[in-house]
Amino acid sequence: MLLSKLREALICFGAGRVTLPYPAAPREPAPGFRGKIQVDADLCFGCGGCAHVCPAGVIQVEDAAQLTRVLEFHWSRCTYCGRCEEVCPEGAIRLTSQFETATDRPQDMVIRLEVFMGPCQRCGRCFPPPTPLERMTAAGFRHGGDGGRA
Amino acid sequence: MGPRKRPSRGPGRSPGKIMDQPDAAAARLTDLLRERLGALLLVAERPQPDTLRCEVAPAGVRAAAGALAWDAGARFLITVGLDVRALGRGFAIAHLFSLDAAHLFVSLEIPVDAADARIDAITPLIPAADWAEREFRDAIGVEPDGHPDPRRLMLPDDWPDGIYPLRRDFRYNARPPAAGGRPVLADAPPGASVLPMGPFFPTLEEPSYWRLFVEGERIVGCDYRGFYNHRAIEKLGETVLGYDKLPFVAERICGICGFIHSTCACQAIEKAAGIDVPARARYIRTIMLELERVHSHLLWLGIAAHIIGFETLLMQSWRIREPIMWLSEAISGNRKTYGMNCVGGLRRDISPETAGKIRETLDPVEREMRAVRKAVVGDTTLLARTKGVGVLTKEWAERIAVVGPPARASGVAIDARLDHPYAAYPEIPPRLCVQQDGDVWARVVVRLDELEDSIRLIRGALDGMPDGPIRAEITEPIPAGRLGISVVEAPRGEAVHFVLTGDDNRAYRWRVRAPTYPNLQAVPSMIAGETIADVPITVGSLDPCFSCTERLEAVDVRSAAMRVYSRDELLALSRRRGSQGGER
Repeated sequence: MLLSKLREALICFGAGRVTLPYPAAPREPAPGFRGKIQVDADLCFGCGGCAHVCPAGVIQVEDAAQLTRVLEFHWSRCTYCGRCEEVCPEGAIRLTSQFETATDRPQDMVIRLEVFMGPCQRCGRCFPPPTPLERMTAAGFRHGGDGGRA
Repeated sequence: MGPRKRPSRGPGRSPGKIMDQPDAAAARLTDLLRERLGALLLVAERPQPDTLRCEVAPAGVRAAAGALAWDAGARFLITVGLDVRALGRGFAIAHLFSLDAAHLFVSLEIPVDAADARIDAITPLIPAADWAEREFRDAIGVEPDGHPDPRRLMLPDDWPDGIYPLRRDFRYNARPPAAGGRPVLADAPPGASVLPMGPFFPTLEEPSYWRLFVEGERIVGCDYRGFYNHRAIEKLGETVLGYDKLPFVAERICGICGFIHSTCACQAIEKAAGIDVPARARYIRTIMLELERVHSHLLWLGIAAHIIGFETLLMQSWRIREPIMWLSEAISGNRKTYGMNCVGGLRRDISPETAGKIRETLDPVEREMRAVRKAVVGDTTLLARTKGVGVLTKEWAERIAVVGPPARASGVAIDARLDHPYAAYPEIPPRLCVQQDGDVWARVVVRLDELEDSIRLIRGALDGMPDGPIRAEITEPIPAGRLGISVVEAPRGEAVHFVLTGDDNRAYRWRVRAPTYPNLQAVPSMIAGETIADVPITVGSLDPCFSCTERLEAVDVRSAAMRVYSRDELLALSRRRGSQGGER
C-alpha cells in the first residue's frame, strides 16, 4: 500500500509542470492541421463543386440574379474534413491553421461570396467568362450521382 | 493472469457448435436449418464469402433463431428492420448473428407482410435481442409478438403513435407534433424504494436515466430509460448522404472511436461493392485504429479513477495520453475525427518522417504507462473499490451477448480482430486479453493488457507497411441491392455496420450498432446486489458511450412533469447570455 502511494507520488513529481502557458504563449498546430476555411474570391468561379461534396451541407449556392451567383459558407457547422479544398478546381478554398474561432457574433461565421457569372454564348446558362469545364476535369472533379442537394 | 493465446471454447457449449472454416460452416448451417425448418427455409445464399444470408418464412423465425443460437453457438449481433416496400416487398427483419470461430456472419431475414406487420419475437429465446426488437418496433413499426417488455426504446415518450421514422415514406426532416405521452416506467418490486440516477449524472458525462430499486443500500433491480441523444444518423445515411459523405458522418457517431465507425462503414460499403483496398491503406487503418485504442483506454482509465475519486490516476493517465493526441494531429490534421477514411481507402498517407514521429511518441507512452500500472496494481484503495464489484458472470455475458473488454473480462474469448479479421490484422494478429473474474478490476486489467498490445501492433504495422497507393480507383458506380456486414473492434467492444446498397449513390439501409448497445443491457445483472455507491463505477467500467448507442431520431424529450422553460425560451435565454459575454 505504502509502496504504491510512494510510486504514485514519484510519478507525479517526475512529471513536472505539464500545463502549457496557453494562451499567454500561442500554440502552433502541427503542419497539415485542418482549421478554419479561407476562400479566395478572385479564384472562385462559382462551379459549386464544394457544395456538392460537403458532408455537413454548410455551403449554399444561390443564383441571386442573372449574372450573380452567391455562395455562402456557414462554417459554424463545418467539420473540417477538407473535401471542399480537395475538389476545388481553382484552389480557391484552403483550410488554414486557424483554430481560435470563438466569437459572440453569429455573422462572423458566414463567408459570403458574390461571383460574377457571364452567360455562355451557346446555351445562355451561368458560366464564367473562360470555359471552366476542361479545367475542372483536369483537376479531377467527377460528377457524383446524387446531385448533392439535401 | 496476463494475456494468453486463444483458448479453446471449452466445455459447456453445445457439442454441435460449428467451428469450421466459413465455407464448411455455411454448408453445415444450411443443412441444420433445412433439417429444422424444411420448406420454411426460403433462400440460403452467400452474398459475400464471409456472409450467409438465409430467408426464412415468418412461421420459422423462432426455430431458426433457436437453431442458430443454441445448436450452432452463434452470437447475436443486432437486428435490422428494413422497409422494402419500395422494392415491391413488405417489410423485412434481419437478425444478424456471428459464428465467431467459423469467421462467418449469418443474416436471418424474415419477410413481413406490410398489411399485418407482426413477427414472432426471439427475445424469449435470446435475451440479447431485447433492445434490438424494441427498436424495430419503434422505427419500422413491426410488432414483435411475445416480447417480454414491449415498451418504447428509442422514440421519445411524446412521439405520436403510428409514425415510424425509419420507414421510407417518412421524410428525414419531418417533425410530427408532440402527442403528450408519459414515460412508461417499470414498477419497483414490492417493498423497494426508487432512487433516480440521471438523466444527468455528474460522473457519466452523457444523459442516461437509471431508476434504481433499492432496499436500504442494496440494489434489487433497475429500470433504464435512455436514448435522449438521437441524431438521426441512420436516417441521414439513407436519405441525404452519398457514399462519399457517409464516412465523415459515420466518424461523428462517436467522439472517441470515430475512426472505428468510419472504418466500419467504409468496410461494409467496400465489401458490398467488391472494392479491394490497397495493402498500404489497410496497414494505415490498423495504425490509426490502434492509436485510437491507446488513447481511449488511457482516457477511460482516467475517468474510471475519477469516478471512484482517485484523481492522481486521472491526471497521470491523461498526461500520458496527451502526446497521442498531438501525434494524431500531426498524422491526420486533427486531434480527433481524423477525416482520413473514404470508401476505397484513405485520403492521407503516413510519410517516413511521420512514421518516425509515431515511434518516438510511443516509447515514452509505453514506459510511463508501465510505471503507472506498476504503481496502481498494489493500491489497496483502488482494489477495494474495484475487486469483486460489478461482477458479470460468463453465463450472463454470453446470454446478453456482451462485447469487448467487459466480455473478455468475464472469460468470453471474443475479439472482432481475430473473429472477423479486417485491415492488417490477418498479417499482425492481436493477442487475446482474457480475464476470468468478471469484476471491475478484471476490466481494468484487460484494458491495461490491451494498451500494451496495441503499442506492439502499431510498431508491427509500421514495420510491415508496404509501399503503394492508399486509395483504390473506383470507376464504376456501386450497384444497388448488395449486402455488406462489417465489424470493427472498438476500444469499448465490437462495432457492427450493416449496409444494403441502393440507387443514387447512397445506401438503401445503413444500420449501426455501437458496442455500448449490448453492454448497457448487461448492467441490471451487474448491479444486482451491489450498493448504491458502486453503481457509477460499475456502469463506468463498461466505458459506456450513450450518444453512440443512440443514433436514430433527434427529438427532444419534454418532461411530462412541470415545465420551467420551453426549448425556445431556453435557446433564447442562452443566446442572450452568450451575446453579453457569458454574464452570470
